[in-house]
Amino acid sequence: MSQAPLMIETKNVTKKVITNEGELQILHPISFQVKAGESVAVIGASGSGKSTLLGLLAGLDEVSTGEIILDGEPLHSLDEEQRARLRGEKVGFIFQSFMLVQSLTALENIMLPAEIAGLPNAKKLANDILVKVGLEHRAQHFPNQLSGGEQQRVAIARAFITNPKILFADEPTGNLDSVNSKKVEDLLFALNKNSDTTLILVTHDSQLSEKCDRQLRMTAGELVEQQPRLKVVSGD
Amino acid sequence: MMAFNLAWRLFKHEARRGELTIILLAIILAVASVLSLSLFSERLQQALTDRSAEFIAADSQLRSRAPVDPLWIEEASKYNLSTAFQLSTRSMVFAGDELALSDVRAVDAAYPLKGSVKLADIPFGEGIVTSQSVPAGEVWADSRLMQVLALNIGDEVEVGEAKLKVTQILSEIPDAGFSVFNTDPTLLMNQLDIEQTKITGPGSRVRYKYYFTGEPSDLDDYYNWLRPQMNREVHRWTSIEDDESAIGNSIARAEEFFLLASLLAIVLAAVSIAVAAQRFSQRHFDPVAIMKTLGAGKSMVRTIYLIQISFITLLGIVLGSIVGYLIQQAVAVGLQGQVEVALNTWYWRPLGIAVFTGVTCALLFSLYPLLQLFSVPPLRVLRRDISSTVSSKVLQFALSGGAVFLLMWVYSGNLKISGILFAGGIVLVASLLLMTHVLIIVGRKLGSGSMGAWTLAWARIRRRAMGNSVQLISFAITIMLLLVVLVMRNDLVKQWRDQLPEGTPNYFVANITEAQKEGLKEHFTANNVSYEKFYPVARGRFVAINDDKVRTDVTKEGEEAANDGRQGLGREANLSWTTVLQSGNEIVDGKWHDNWQEGEPVPLSVETEIAGRLNIELGDTLTFNLGSEIINAEVTSMRKVNWQTLQPNFFFVLHPKAMENFSATYITSFNLDESRKNEIAALMAPFASVTLFDVDARINQVREIIDQVSMAVEFILILVLVAGSLVLVAQVQASMDERLEELAILRTLGLKGISIRFSVINEFFIIGGVAGLMAALANEFSLYLLQTLVFQMPFSLHFEYWIIAPLVGALVVGLLGALSCWRLLSLNTAHLLRKMV
Repeated sequence: MSQAPLMIETKNVTKKVITNEGELQILHPISFQVKAGESVAVIGASGSGKSTLLGLLAGLDEVSTGEIILDGEPLHSLDEEQRARLRGEKVGFIFQSFMLVQSLTALENIMLPAEIAGLPNAKKLANDILVKVGLEHRAQHFPNQLSGGEQQRVAIARAFITNPKILFADEPTGNLDSVNSKKVEDLLFALNKNSDTTLILVTHDSQLSEKCDRQLRMTAGELVEQQPRLKVVSGD
Repeated sequence: MMAFNLAWRLFKHEARRGELTIILLAIILAVASVLSLSLFSERLQQALTDRSAEFIAADSQLRSRAPVDPLWIEEASKYNLSTAFQLSTRSMVFAGDELALSDVRAVDAAYPLKGSVKLADIPFGEGIVTSQSVPAGEVWADSRLMQVLALNIGDEVEVGEAKLKVTQILSEIPDAGFSVFNTDPTLLMNQLDIEQTKITGPGSRVRYKYYFTGEPSDLDDYYNWLRPQMNREVHRWTSIEDDESAIGNSIARAEEFFLLASLLAIVLAAVSIAVAAQRFSQRHFDPVAIMKTLGAGKSMVRTIYLIQISFITLLGIVLGSIVGYLIQQAVAVGLQGQVEVALNTWYWRPLGIAVFTGVTCALLFSLYPLLQLFSVPPLRVLRRDISSTVSSKVLQFALSGGAVFLLMWVYSGNLKISGILFAGGIVLVASLLLMTHVLIIVGRKLGSGSMGAWTLAWARIRRRAMGNSVQLISFAITIMLLLVVLVMRNDLVKQWRDQLPEGTPNYFVANITEAQKEGLKEHFTANNVSYEKFYPVARGRFVAINDDKVRTDVTKEGEEAANDGRQGLGREANLSWTTVLQSGNEIVDGKWHDNWQEGEPVPLSVETEIAGRLNIELGDTLTFNLGSEIINAEVTSMRKVNWQTLQPNFFFVLHPKAMENFSATYITSFNLDESRKNEIAALMAPFASVTLFDVDARINQVREIIDQVSMAVEFILILVLVAGSLVLVAQVQASMDERLEELAILRTLGLKGISIRFSVINEFFIIGGVAGLMAALANEFSLYLLQTLVFQMPFSLHFEYWIIAPLVGALVVGLLGALSCWRLLSLNTAHLLRKMV
């Protein structure tokens, strides 16, 4: 295996929250590494801590203890403004519920990260990528005028417009039917391959997880298993 | 630039999709109601002031006991003021062998500056306005003088050494004033003739009146220039606001009411903006979380939304100004003929206030929701249950409350009214928070069990009681403010109309002798004329207080007021006597003398204002000269007199026993219906020696102004009611949005639409009823403070509203909830679920 640089490194990362019943440990010490360009599936039952881990890795939340290094930057010691800047420069997101801004058109939603990053040709970039996801004819439609599959494709286009180094996807096919799920999957991995973007994917979908290079299995806030993709070998 | 572009894009799209409707409407409502109210108030007040200025024939008067320096009048023109002049004195007027002591008034061509002189074709006939002024060489005599001197038009009269021709019958002059103690008929002449009469020489008692009209600011500037040169003993400056009569008081009260109503409209608008801003903020939690996830920092988010709020505010102010102007124009046109307001006059102050209100409301009341919005964490994209990290009810109420108080204070410039209303609001809010807790406890018991509509309603109330507290408070505040305006308007109008009820005497009779008294009573009775009490009157000179001489001179032409001695009345005193305290009189100190015993000092009751002016105290002994007799009387009570009624009132009232040896004349009054007016001459013919005053015109003038003011008050009430209704609608709409998810789920789970509908209606019914009850209680508290401290009215509880307010609150809020719910539940379940996304 090539010695690709590390994109993500976590060391003894934990997450605790304070509830009415007292302190609750959501994540127990977690340590792992992800190389640049890898695709990693985080799988586990509901409530196992997958989304919490995703939130920490993406800089959306703060660790309670431990370290997270994201593309060489110590995420755990950055403040919210610094993490926002980092996200704008290096990270893309796809969510189960699409998370499009309802008051903006499909094209404007896609332009958003490019504008926030201050790219001068945001509109051209958005149009180009809209073509890639096959939705150029829906550019002026609002999210509530698009189907679930179309919305997710817009979300994917938005995620890739700034050519992020890493993409976090939280159940990207969770709200889609099988046909649209397949389309979204194919699109996601095609873009992943073409852009050499590291992909961290939280999913229940075994088919989707098997497409990734590695799988991290979470149970009750603990990383219980790390395994490379299972290869199916045909023959006697 | 990016932030501006994004803000503009968001604003454009949301405006087109109707998502800014509520917050825009709220700002439009604030600006429109403030502009229409304050513009109409300003115009109406100007109209009423103009109308009322007729009573002093100008905007302001300078009264003097001596001619003033001509330079004072010249100076007035530098302030763009118009001036007029009147000299008045009492003098004998002769016609052949007949003579009569008359009130002679010599005027210049500019008189009157406000109001009109009216002439009649026959004595006591209908008055017709004239634009002419009395020419030199001629006089206009009033009906009584015509009668007493048996004059005809064209006859000659002698006034001092001048012979002048009677050419018109004088019906009315605007600043006639009214006093039953001034019994002389009026003669109007040209000031150019006064010198030849020689009636203003040394020893005569002359009053000089200088009239001024102009812009209020110019009048103020002129008065500020004049005041240091005035001598308080000789000169007196008056304006209509100084008038303590029914009209002056009505105007002052009306102005205070307009101010109150405008303040309430502002508060209502502020409440609607607060509700709308909260909703706007919550709808943008997701977009903010998304933007932050995509790399936007807090400052970028702040900039985007501040720009967006600015767009919304600007649009709201422009539309609100247009709407407010149109509303005001429509009302003014609609009331033409009943309330005469000048539509071609523009006032910038109301527009400035409206814009300031719109900007302040939009910024201050969206401040807390915006703070919440800016602090939404990006993690919300993964965990939708996370909202803002800013959550402090104390901060929210402090910001909103402080903003409301600031607005009220800046708008009114009146700390008292603002403080009172604000205090009422605080009491209400505290009470409602307590009630919310009670609801939680009650709801716990009621909200369990089978899922009927009522149970469901109580369960929802219990569950959402704390979250609903803001809504409950805003409903209650809205209802309370409407109640305050409604009750104040009712009480004010009633009090005004009670001053001059139907049947108010429109004729006064004076100089009735003892011998004529009983005969006149019988004559009135025989002719079906209802008459008032006969008041005895004796004229005397007030000469000493506790043996200290007072100045008794009444300041004749050419004399300076004497400087030695305590201040006196400056004229003769009219004494009356009775053991029955007159209506409209209230003993505020000491004891009324209904129980005087022989041997005790003669008791005297003194009116409080004159007592204050002359430094008279309880226990003082006052000395009066009646002819050659002396009366010493001890002040045993102080009386507050309601001067606003048109009935005789007296500064000094003695016990009858003390006046047994003095001859008196009597004053009374009676009411003669409009249809019998032509009987008056025949009615009074058997008593030709008494003096008759026709005050019908004055009463009608007062009634007219009161009716106009009442009409204006009605309009303002309607405007405030409309504002309040819109606020309620906005609140219910906001409330329905929060219920959307729950309704969709219940529908999906199979609960019948009718059960859901009734549960929502019941919930609003309960909330509206509670809000109405709390509003009724807080209303009493606010009214107590307003009526006693601001409007100087007696306070009374309004029990009827304790029933009406909860019922109407429940009905209106329940109905609005039903209508909103109906619209939502008419959608199929799929649509409902889609709206939730």
